[in-house]
Parts: sequence; C-alpha cells; structure tokens
Amino acid sequence: MEELLPSLKGMLKEAIDIDPDASIMTIKLTIKQEIEGIIAEPEEIVIMLKMYGGLKEDMPMEINIDNETQTITLRFEKEEHFNKVEKIFESIWENAVDLLYQAMESDFSRIKTIPDIDD
Amino acid sequence: MTDPNAIENNPFIELGEIPEKKYKEGYIIDSTYITVRDGVKIAATICFPKGLPPDAKIPTVLTQTRYWRAMELRIPFRWILDSMVPNAPNPEVVTSRGYALIYTDVRGTGASTGSRITPFSEDEIKDGYDIVEWIISQPWSDGNVVSKGISYTGTTAELFARNLHPAIKAVIPGHGFWDPYTDVAFPGGCFDHAFIQLWSFLGKNLDLNNPKVFRQIMPDAWLVVKGVKPVRTDKDLKMLNKAVKEHHSNQYVYEHTIEENFRDDQIQNGSSFDDFSVFNRKFEIEKSNLPILAWCSWLDSGYGDAIIHRFMNISNPHIAILGDWTHGASLPANQFFPDRISVTPTPRDKVNAWINFFDKCIYGEGIQGKMIYYYTLVEEKWKKSNIWPPRGHKYQKWYFSENYSLKIEKPKNVSGDDSYRVNFRATTGRNNRWWALLGLPITYENRAKIDEKLMCYTSDPFHQDTEITGQIVMCLYLTSTHEDGAIFAYFEDVDEEGNVTYITDGEFRLIHRKILSEDPIYKILIPYHSYKKEDSAPLTPGEITEIKFGLHATSVLIKKGHRIKIAIAGADKDTFLRYPPEGRPTITISRNNIHSSYLDIPIIKKQNEGEN
Repeated sequence: MEELLPSLKGMLKEAIDIDPDASIMTIKLTIKQEIEGIIAEPEEIVIMLKMYGGLKEDMPMEINIDNETQTITLRFEKEEHFNKVEKIFESIWENAVDLLYQAMESDFSRIKTIPDIDD
Repeated sequence: MTDPNAIENNPFIELGEIPEKKYKEGYIIDSTYITVRDGVKIAATICFPKGLPPDAKIPTVLTQTRYWRAMELRIPFRWILDSMVPNAPNPEVVTSRGYALIYTDVRGTGASTGSRITPFSEDEIKDGYDIVEWIISQPWSDGNVVSKGISYTGTTAELFARNLHPAIKAVIPGHGFWDPYTDVAFPGGCFDHAFIQLWSFLGKNLDLNNPKVFRQIMPDAWLVVKGVKPVRTDKDLKMLNKAVKEHHSNQYVYEHTIEENFRDDQIQNGSSFDDFSVFNRKFEIEKSNLPILAWCSWLDSGYGDAIIHRFMNISNPHIAILGDWTHGASLPANQFFPDRISVTPTPRDKVNAWINFFDKCIYGEGIQGKMIYYYTLVEEKWKKSNIWPPRGHKYQKWYFSENYSLKIEKPKNVSGDDSYRVNFRATTGRNNRWWALLGLPITYENRAKIDEKLMCYTSDPFHQDTEITGQIVMCLYLTSTHEDGAIFAYFEDVDEEGNVTYITDGEFRLIHRKILSEDPIYKILIPYHSYKKEDSAPLTPGEITEIKFGLHATSVLIKKGHRIKIAIAGADKDTFLRYPPEGRPTITISRNNIHSSYLDIPIIKKQNEGEN
C-alpha cells in the first residue's frame, strides 16, 4: 500500500467519474474499471462520505446502485444537502488518501474526528 | 538494518543470485473453497502467473494464516485495488518465478468454516494434508508443494511438514516459535499479559469479521479494510455468514491464561501450551526429513531463542538465519544504529531468496547438513556455523561486586549485598521486543536515565574488542521480603560518553527457581526450569535463595573502551503481569565470597586471543 500512496489520488480520479446535476439535485458516480459482482452496498456510500468526506450527520438521500452500468446515483430532497455532498465530492479522493497517509505516519488526529461508523 | 556492506557469509547472497523472471506479465487471482475430510470448507485465494501456457505445470507455495488470507477493501479503494491480494507477501515475486501461490484461512478463521479451540490444532495441521491433495489434483500442478510464512503462518509452514505428504518438498518458517510457553506467553514464567490479551482480542474480532477493532489498534488498516474477502463464488455471502456464525464457538488463549500460569496447566480443551508447540511435534517433523529454512531476528520476542533451539534440536537439513530486524523484517532493529530506516535485503529480495531455496529443494540438489547464519551487532558482520554454540564459545564469569561494579575476580569479602525496592512503574515501554509481535518498531532508547531507577552493576572499560554470542546466564543469591516476585535483567553496552545501549534481557519469576537435574524437554544451554506447578515454590522471606536463569540469546561486539552493564528491575509494567499482585518487595542481592552473584557470559574466543 505504501508504494501505491503517491499514485492513489490519480488512480481514483481516473477510475471514477463524478457528475453532479444541480437542476435535479443528483450526483452520479460512474466506476470506469470493470468490477466483478456488486459495486457497493448503499450503506457503504454513507460510510465513505463520513470516513473520507467529513460528513458528520445522517443526511436523507436516495441511493440507487446499478451494477450493470456501474453507476451510483445520489438524489437529494434539499438543496443544502445536495450542495454539501457536492462540495465533499470535490475533494473526497484527496482527503481519503491524505487521511490514509497521515495514519500510516502514525498521525491519528483526523481519524479521531470521524464519527461512529456502523460497519 | 543489516549493513549492506556485510557481504561475507551473508545468507541471502549464499542462497544464490536472483534469476530472470519466468513470467513477466503479472498475475491473476482466483479464490475457492477446498473441502477437507470432515466437511469444513477452507477459503483459498490463488495467484497464478499471467501468461501461463494452458498445458504448463507449476509448483505451489502454500501459506496458511489465521489473520485473513485476503481483505475486502472499503470503497473507493476496492474499485481500484480489488485485483490486489493485500494480505499475501509479494505475490508478484512468487508468481513471476513460476510458482502458484495459495493463501488459505485456517479452519475457524477468515472466510473458512469450522471453529477452533486452540491455535495450531491437530485438525488445523491435517487440513494441510487435504489442501495438498487438492493442489496436486489440479491440472496446473506439477505435484510439488512448499510452504512459507511469517509469525503464525511461519508456524503453520513448519507444522505443515508434519503431514508427511510426499508432495511437500520444503518449508520456510519465518519468525515462529519453538516453545510458545517460554518464547512468547510466559518468558521466564512471567506472563506477557499485554501481547496475549491484544492478540486474543484481535483474533476474536478477525474471526467475527469485525473491522471496528482496527479503529483502535490499527487505524490505518481500519481506513481501508472492510472485512475478510469472501470467496469469489460466494456472491450472496451465505458461506461467509455461515463461517462467521461457526466462529462464535472459537476459544482464545487469553481467556484461559489469565487464570493459568504454569506450563502444565490445561488452558483449552485439556490442552497445555506444549500441546500446540513445535518441539512436541519434532519427531514427525524429523521423520519428514524435509529441508527447513528458518529465519528470525535477535530482538523479536523470544523467537531468536526459538531459532537456536530449533537448530539444536531438529535433525532435518536446515538453514537458520538470525538478523537484526523487527518481527517479519519490516523495519530494522539494531539499537546501535537507531537512525537506520530500511532493512537489507528488501522484503522483495528476501522472497526471491526464499524461492531460490525452494528451487534448490524441488529442482536442484537440495541442502545438506545444517548451517546457522547469525549477525553480530556492532561488528556488523554475518557469521556462520554448523554447530551451536559456535566454535570458540566459552563462558566467562563476571561477579557482582562492591560499588555496583562487575568484575572478573570473585569477591573476597565475607559480607556485602545491595538492596532494591521494586519500582512497579518500571517499564521498557511499548516498543520493546514483546510488543514487536504486533508488528511495532523495536526501540530501546539510551537507557542511562531509565537505569537510574534500577539496580545496576557496571564493568571497567574493556581492553580489547570482545564478541559475546549466545545466552548469558545470570546467577543471583537473593533474599526478598515477599514470597513471589520477578527479576527483569537488562544487559547493556556503555560507551565512552556514558550512552547506554540495550543488548538483550531476561526475565524470571522467582517461584520457578528450582533447577531440574533431569533431561530437559529439549536441548538447551541454560539452567532447566520446568515451569510446572509441582516444581514451583514460594520464596521464604529473608532467606538467601539461588536464582539462576538465562537471558535471551544475542551476538554483539563489545568494543575496546566500552563497558558492560546489567540493570535489574522487578517489573516491566506495560508488558508483564505484576509479581506479586500486591505489595512492594525489597530484593537484596548478595555479592560476597560466600554468596557470589554473577553473570556467566558466552565469549567467543578467537585463536591466540588472551583474556579481556
């Protein structure tokens, strides 16, 4: 993992398209690399937003996962929720890798700020 | 780090040059369940060289773990790294050399079904036989199977030999125990409470596929790991869920050791530590006559002693390697060069060296006889010997003397002793040789300040460079104010500036002091204590008692002008249980002509070398 760290951000950006649409308050993720089986469970999306995106609260959103097209669609009722998650996705991959890098350097200060995760 | 300039006798060089890769396109992964004789399903992840011709036949490296053979990653990492097998060491090296790599979860762990009452059970070992049968029935198998591993997987590799299956050609146990009672759980009869508790806690949560445990103890792993990787065909996770359900009846060592302290105590299902030891299975391992390459390091818990005991006690063709790195060799562990940051050779080159060994055993002339390679600290040189202890090994007594000195001459005065009130706050911290089993760095800072709180004896400066290789024996004539207690002794080097560098240590619970005259359960070079309940006895407060025990093996050069020092404590609070549980003993060590406490130090005498 250590040797992959420098290239992880680029690999994530390359592998996943993030497509927000404010007009219908949806964010669509497309996984470009072929994944065998299911690409994710809905609760994993929430965990990802909390662990790597800094999302603190439970936020109402509809999560649709299409394993055929390898797309995940997040649909929001409120504009403020959409805006918040859209903002998170602007830097979520950088944050994830930075968090991991810090942890591997034994700096756990940011991990302590992650809320309880129901694995 | 082993000094990269240490070329002579370097085992990694003697194992041969790394040949060109047979397969250069990477590897492919599959996973499956292997059903063993009683219906238990063993989860297996298999890596093959990419580009393997359809009719090719290749040998297999098998590794059997209890720490998840492969991990299911969290998203988004799973989306980009899913083709990796993060828990297998260097699969690309193994497969590029023309081997299949099979990594299994032992029964009762990971995605395998079944349950486990003890580690390294007979059932777990026999599964190895059934797995070999499965492997050699595969169209890609050439009928040869070898096994290697580090720590738990090192021991499963060694015990794999016990299956006496003709397809098994060689094993490489890395950083494994020989005697789990003294090498890890109860060194010197003192309970390594910290490790056993954490290890059992970690094992239980791994078996229950509970990644939450990582948040506290391995936060970097928690960030990326979701759980154990299911077998590919287990799309609805039915098998994984069944497996985890069955793991609920597992038992863990700590649940028993907290009450049971003696070697012959039954800790699980009527078993004692000896029942899952390697030494108790040595006859079957010898019967296999399989070539063994065992490797470890001086400062990895008591596993350096394990390498030596294996070397002295097993007759198999045998290479043993003792270096200066941490558990598993991920980091250097040489207190004389604390600034070194990397291990030589690299993990990748080590795996290549192991494959060279396997190649020799499968395709070549194999290995003959026995050879131990050991690294001498400070001198920074590899040595090799076909016997242990090495030639020139001779014990030299150093007596505890007045003014806290260590002298070659026996004290002449008829009285003389020193007292120490045990400080139960004394600690070597959480980066010592025992915590190293959790994969942590090994760091003993300059001990000058720490030693101020301990009872210490120091020699005069040495007149010439002197090699110490082997196990120091400590003999104390002591009285205590209490019936129970322990001695923690740190053997150190003091340089001209007064910097104190840890070399090795030994610990001993005083109720185990009886030295048995009968043959020990395996060959040793130090006083034999049984650690059995029937041989234990409380101290009589105020009565002088002989306490004689061995420190952990080392190899070090004491340079001309440096001094040796022994620092004595009565506790190591962050690692070992407290003896006695209550009260604060005062220990008095006699250092006079009648009761002469001493260290017996194994010096390597070279030809024409005079006394120090």
